Amino acid sequence: MSSLLKVTDLCKSFKQPYGLFSSREKVAFGPVSFTLEKGETLAVVGESGSGKSALVRTIAGVLKASSGDIYINGESICTLSSHKRCVAVRMIFQDPSSSLNPKMTVGKILNAPIELNTNLDAKQRYQRILDTLKLVGLLPDYLAFYPEMLSGMQKHQVAIARAMILNPDIILVDEILTTLDISLRFKIVNLLLKIQQAKGLSYIFVAHNMHLVKHMSDQIMVLHQGKIVEKGPAEEVCERPQHEQTKYLLLTHQPDYRK
Amino acid sequence: MLINNGFNEDKIQSPLRYIWSIFKSKSIAVLAMWAIVILIFISLFASWIVPHPPLLQDPEQMLLPPYWVEGGTIDHVLGTDELGRDTLSRLFHGVQYTLGGALIITFFVSLIGMTIGAGAALTKGVKASILHHLLDALLAIPSLLSALILITFFGPSYINCLIAIALSLLPQFIRASFLAIEQELNKQYIIALQLDGAAKTRLFRYGILPNILEPTITILNRLFTMAIIEIATLGFLGFGAQLPQTELGALIANSMELIYLSPWLVAFPGLAIFIIIIIVNVFAEGLRHAVIEGEE
Repeated sequence: MSSLLKVTDLCKSFKQPYGLFSSREKVAFGPVSFTLEKGETLAVVGESGSGKSALVRTIAGVLKASSGDIYINGESICTLSSHKRCVAVRMIFQDPSSSLNPKMTVGKILNAPIELNTNLDAKQRYQRILDTLKLVGLLPDYLAFYPEMLSGMQKHQVAIARAMILNPDIILVDEILTTLDISLRFKIVNLLLKIQQAKGLSYIFVAHNMHLVKHMSDQIMVLHQGKIVEKGPAEEVCERPQHEQTKYLLLTHQPDYRK
Repeated sequence: MLINNGFNEDKIQSPLRYIWSIFKSKSIAVLAMWAIVILIFISLFASWIVPHPPLLQDPEQMLLPPYWVEGGTIDHVLGTDELGRDTLSRLFHGVQYTLGGALIITFFVSLIGMTIGAGAALTKGVKASILHHLLDALLAIPSLLSALILITFFGPSYINCLIAIALSLLPQFIRASFLAIEQELNKQYIIALQLDGAAKTRLFRYGILPNILEPTITILNRLFTMAIIEIATLGFLGFGAQLPQTELGALIANSMELIYLSPWLVAFPGLAIFIIIIIVNVFAEGLRHAVIEGEE
């Protein structure tokens, strides 16, 4: 049985203009290899500019990898149709106020992925939308709302609903917790954990806060300048950090709200 | 629609409705909108509503001043020209040529330009750069000059003048719409829609088009204003509408020799061009502000 997600020697570099005519390669991350099992949560942590976001975006398909391979359920991503890829991997963007189209109602936003990727009829689609809304804890009333009428928390819920609606195997979460205050942060974390329990899906989490990460993830991967410097079970990485960078990250996020 | 609709005022407005409700509160812009409706009505039905046929000569009543000046008659409200033709009727027909022509140019240029601009922005590689740089050679020359050059190829006539102006304004429009769409493509909700598996056309229809209203209004307004000015200019220079056609610029050119004898004949067509451009700009600006306020 192959793992749900397997990443081998994934590499991404950008071309930067350098001088008048030449350009040089700037490596965003890589080579990176890791695996993710079903129902597991992998947290990717690191300072800003360490390539976390680029990594997640590459797996989601926003960016194209320069080299290396991604396998989902043993199938290479190159051979997968974009259709199957959409269904297997979904992404939640960092800022829901910019990732929800301001000119579309919540209902239409949620309808788009199912209409494009499944062949359910309108009634089944509506039922699926209602179920998903219930899952994230929103009333069906909100279907007729436009994103700017919702609060920040509700926008997050809609963004999560959009990711969940296709019943994906993997959800990529790009730093959604940083823009929220503490109480809402926990609410979202609990919501995500609850959904994980109900659906048995896997998360790849991008985060800064080591303590929150420890609470919700099974595996932690620390990136530094595009390379994996430490990888292991969450407990172990947090209790006995091996690398300098991990220690720094643990120090910078003292849980002051516990005092 | 709402489950707990305790108050009947909980009505959810679509963004377009909301923009319209803001626009309605701007009285000057609404006034300009009605003025545009009247102008379009005039240009559509000029032949039926004019008091006299525009080419009817009346040797009894030549070079009459407007009726409020000593010697004018109420029969010719804005006076007559050197052959006794009614100025008001000629102005109405002039509006038909100038405004109608500008509307046709705006319609076709925006349709073609938006298609090419969107095609260039949504594709990559050679196809994109061919589309994008197709008419760039015309950008190097000021649009009026390139229209003049094209007219010398086609030969001066009203239809050729419209074609030449449309071709000379097209590259600017392609460039502007390309830039607007390009900017929109980097937004996160577009990326999210792409990850949903949306095809290009759906992306354009639902993701991009509703969100580029404001830049589109600006470039359409500029396109329309430029078209009016260029039609009038080419008419004035004699490259556009030919003599019996009463285009506004041609009317001015016609009466230039009589400017000391009867300044009205030059003043009225000039004033008409001026008023049309002011009205259109006030309307577009009001609409643009309504869109900006509506998007906040």
